[in-house]
Amino acid sequence: MLSVRKLPLRNLRGYASRSAAIILFAALTSAAVFGGLLLTGAVRGGLETVRARLGADIMVTPESAKNEFDAQTALIKAEPGYFYMDSDVLEQIRSIEGVAAASPQLFLASAKAGCCSARLQLIAFDPATDFTVQPWIADTGTTREMGLMDVIIGSSVSWPSADNAVIRFYDSECSVIGQFAPTGSALDSAVYMNFDTCRALIDACRSMGLFKYADFDGDRSVSSVLVRVKEGYDAESVASEIRARIGGVSAVTAAGMLSGIADGLRHVSSAVKALMLAFWLPGLFMAVLFFAFMINERKKEFAALRAMGADRRILSRIAVTEALAANLAGGLIGIIVSGVLLCAFGGLIAGRMNVTFVLPPLGKMLLTALAALLPAVLAAACSSLAALGIISRTDAALLLKEGE
Amino acid sequence: MKLTASGIKKDFPRAGKTSNFFTAVQPLDIELSSGRLTVVSGRSGSGKSTLLNMLAGLLTPSAGSVCLDGTDIYALSDGALSRLRNASLGLIPQGNTALNSLSVLENTLLPSVLYSKCAPPYETAASLLGQLGLGSVKDEKPSALSGGELRRMSVARALLTRPGVILADEPTAGLDDENTLLVLSLLRRYADDGACVLIVTHEDEAGRFADEQLTMNGGMLSR
Repeated sequence: MLSVRKLPLRNLRGYASRSAAIILFAALTSAAVFGGLLLTGAVRGGLETVRARLGADIMVTPESAKNEFDAQTALIKAEPGYFYMDSDVLEQIRSIEGVAAASPQLFLASAKAGCCSARLQLIAFDPATDFTVQPWIADTGTTREMGLMDVIIGSSVSWPSADNAVIRFYDSECSVIGQFAPTGSALDSAVYMNFDTCRALIDACRSMGLFKYADFDGDRSVSSVLVRVKEGYDAESVASEIRARIGGVSAVTAAGMLSGIADGLRHVSSAVKALMLAFWLPGLFMAVLFFAFMINERKKEFAALRAMGADRRILSRIAVTEALAANLAGGLIGIIVSGVLLCAFGGLIAGRMNVTFVLPPLGKMLLTALAALLPAVLAAACSSLAALGIISRTDAALLLKEGE
Repeated sequence: MKLTASGIKKDFPRAGKTSNFFTAVQPLDIELSSGRLTVVSGRSGSGKSTLLNMLAGLLTPSAGSVCLDGTDIYALSDGALSRLRNASLGLIPQGNTALNSLSVLENTLLPSVLYSKCAPPYETAASLLGQLGLGSVKDEKPSALSGGELRRMSVARALLTRPGVILADEPTAGLDDENTLLVLSLLRRYADDGACVLIVTHEDEAGRFADEQLTMNGGMLSR
């Protein structure tokens, strides 16, 4: 049924190409704003999650592992690797002033071969002293204590059979007892276990001739030591002290490990700001311009409505509704498209940019979407103002005489 | 219903000339009464359309007043004047005034939906279009119609709500003899049914249907 309320949508459909142009510009603007905000938020979220999950102030590794372990990129795109140092280093670290806690970890990389489910970084922690992995185990929902051949997997690790929750390394089966929440970092593709499990897997690896360290001593080797610094002490100073007092080790602070991601976040933020400006202002301008064109083209229609008895309020309502409908439709399309693209390819994009990526929770995403609609609302407001200006200057009597 | 104009005139600003304005309509009085069809004829530019637009409440006179049943329409607010125009005046403008996104039938129905939430009178509109020879194109978009068909659609639209006053600006311009007769007969019928009808035209044919014929020349109205 024909009604004044339906007129704006009929008009938008009637001027399809102009309406499509307005919708396109509004979509581009909102896509840029939503995509930009979501990407920045996801990278920042990733950084915060990794910082929280790292849990240590300093990481000590063998100096000889430099080729296999780059502290600045280890959290982003680490190739699974393993290296060892003598466990004596643990006591030496604990004796250094400013060290509150130190906990060893043991690494192994699974093979990309039939004996293993996938090539992954295996990390063993010491339940007695660990302060970095165990606080997060509660979040996995597991109530089972980690025993021999039990593992907890990172969020991006999949295992062949979810039913019996078993993952295989060097022909040894491990029970998956939990899975960590995503961090958007290399931690997501790691598998966590206790020292006994890791040693058993190292033995299995060695028996298959795939282990590269002939002099490895299972009881006296560790791969890294994670250090928590006492309150009031500067992590960088303590790390310097560790490097100075203990030979053959490399000590890098959490800030140092996260600096690569933080740099990436800065680059992403700058790029996103530039992108948003590049799309927003021209998009806003073009959306308003096309709407003004459309209203100007239809001045005579508005004059005809006036002649039929439509007051200025009806004409204004028609113009404002058209502006809102076109810009909000474009805004929603832009948000949905950029949201879907980012959800699908965000991790890939972040990987290319060397940053972590964790999508915010749905509620926060919806708030971001609402914020991204603001440019569309602004475009609608500017378009409405332009239209109202045109309509108020429209001389119905003169226009009705034109084109006689 | 009675539409009276007393001492109305219209001046338009004229930039870049020695005089600051020119007078399109000299001070004049006119009265349109129920059941009468008045024709104002005159050459193009004589001020006919300006007079009609002032009577329709679309163009504020420089002086004088226009009253509908004693109410000075230019003393009303925009909202009140618009509602009055919607309820009591049927205006047939000069040019093409179709809304391109609506069908011919929907264009005809427009005056009935501006303020009313009731279902529009589809049958009345279809019947009017049929009487004006547009029954077969009622579902077409205006872009598919000829100039003459669009003109007849404007007539149907102005008559839809059976307004008390019908103001027609060159309603037969561009129509062939048959359709001219059709439109003028219809307007005559509405006058006979009690409407005040004013036709401004530069064609002589309308005179045959008039109760009163006036001539406009240089903005001055004469019998």
